Amino acid sequence: MPPDWSVWDVLWRASLETLQTTIAGTFLGALFAYPLGVMAASNWTPPWIHLPVKAAMAFIRSIPLLILALLFVSAVGLGPFPGVLAIAVHSVGVLGRFVAEEIEATDPRPLLALQGTGASSIQVIQHGLIPQVLPQMVAHLAIRFEMNLRDSTILGLVGAGGLGFYVFLYIKQFQWEKTGVLCLAIIFLVFAGEFVSWQIRKRLI
Amino acid sequence: MSPEVIIRLKDAVVRRDGQDILSIDSLEITRGERVAFIGNSGSGKTTLMRMLKGYITPTRGHVEVMGAPVPLGNRARMRGYHRQIGMIHQHFDLIGRESVWQNVYHGRLGYVPFLRSFLGRFDKGDREICMRALKEVRLDDKLYRSARTLSGGEQQRVAIARTLSQEPTIFLADEPVSNLDPALSEDILDLFGTICVAYRLTLLISLHLPELARRIADRIIAMKAGEIVWQGLPEELSEEKISEIYERGERNGEGYDRLERTNEFHMSWGHGAKGHLVPGS
Ligand SMILES: Nc1ncnc2c1ncn2[C@@H]1O[C@H](COP(=O)(O)OP(=O)(O)OP(=O)(O)O)[C@@H](O)[C@H]1O
Ligand SMILES: [Mg+2]
Repeated sequence: MPPDWSVWDVLWRASLETLQTTIAGTFLGALFAYPLGVMAASNWTPPWIHLPVKAAMAFIRSIPLLILALLFVSAVGLGPFPGVLAIAVHSVGVLGRFVAEEIEATDPRPLLALQGTGASSIQVIQHGLIPQVLPQMVAHLAIRFEMNLRDSTILGLVGAGGLGFYVFLYIKQFQWEKTGVLCLAIIFLVFAGEFVSWQIRKRLI
Repeated sequence: MSPEVIIRLKDAVVRRDGQDILSIDSLEITRGERVAFIGNSGSGKTTLMRMLKGYITPTRGHVEVMGAPVPLGNRARMRGYHRQIGMIHQHFDLIGRESVWQNVYHGRLGYVPFLRSFLGRFDKGDREICMRALKEVRLDDKLYRSARTLSGGEQQRVAIARTLSQEPTIFLADEPVSNLDPALSEDILDLFGTICVAYRLTLLISLHLPELARRIADRIIAMKAGEIVWQGLPEELSEEKISEIYERGERNGEGYDRLERTNEFHMSWGHGAKGHLVPGS
């Protein structure tokens, strides 16, 4: 049973949609995850801030991505947009936690040393905190992107756009030749995502 | 003209958990002096230095530095004060991922307006000050190495250069060589000798080994249980005095705050490294 390459057009459009969903979702999520992550760091904020933020992020993490997507599909309708929202919300839960843990784990002594030279608080953050956490932040973002790409290939199962939607469609129609081609595309996309993420992380260490 | 007194303590007491962990009746240090502090672990050397730096508020008494009380509780003035008081200790505390150059430049932050440091623009004057400091510690050939790839001795020299680029008036060095091997320790101490002259610094240095104190100091001050129990010229510090000083005090350095606790952790190699007195044995 040879693969049916007549789906090329669909494949191209759907792959692009999946990729766009992932990028938009990941960055939208990161936009909220960084400030929330700082708020959730127990050494930077009082308990009445970091405890609720931490709890909210844990709650988000406990909801499976497909359920989130389903919720957003029923809220805003079919298409890639609910996919973006689902990926974004999920990323806030996961990335925010890493940001918080990374900040909590930074050595405070170099920061005190900088303050001891007469640097202002903002200078301490810029020259002391950010250089210490930046590589890990970028690494986490790269990993999140890679995983989100994998996850968003199946978002179509609940109607949230991308490759998964067509895979599901062709399976229902028993068009195995087309399904096979799309599966190959998913494998390729996931592999490419991992490669990019690996390249980014390799450069950081 | 009599020499200017730059640090003056009168009945200065720091009390923690109902105990006076520091209690100094009277201490005067003149500008340009090099004073070494020795004493058992827990004798109050770190407490004294942190108090002079403005990290610890004395429970009572009078602490006057450069002719005025330490501007505690005044954020804006504290920043200027910090700039004047350089401090290093045995953990170097560099930003490991950043270059030697960047770390030394951090000493300038207290002088640079936020926007300029934010954009990473050094002006020529700052650059020259950093370069001079780097030459002084002989690291001008390693400008772009990241700090964490340096040896312990080199890292301590970066920390010294960072403090020099801050152009301090007083240099507090709390056990700066406790993480270094004996040969390196002597190296760093000799470096302190040179920079004190070149930058006209007043140096307060705490050391675990009396013979290192003799090597650098104009005056040695011995502490025990938070009090000054002896002071004199290096040649006056006899072996009997030393054993008296290091005789077990009532306190043994328990129960410090978390940050300092981690500092104490690495500290044990130096005791008795040269067959000398072992505090706490
Ligand atoms: N925040 C604090 N609360 C309670 N006790 C404290 C506190 N800070 C210091 N101490 C106690 O004060 C004493 C003096 O401590 P300090 O660190 O100044 O000694 P040190 O001479 O620097 O010792 P070392 O040689 O081990 O560095 C110790 O007994 C310590 O436990
Ligand atoms: Mg100490």
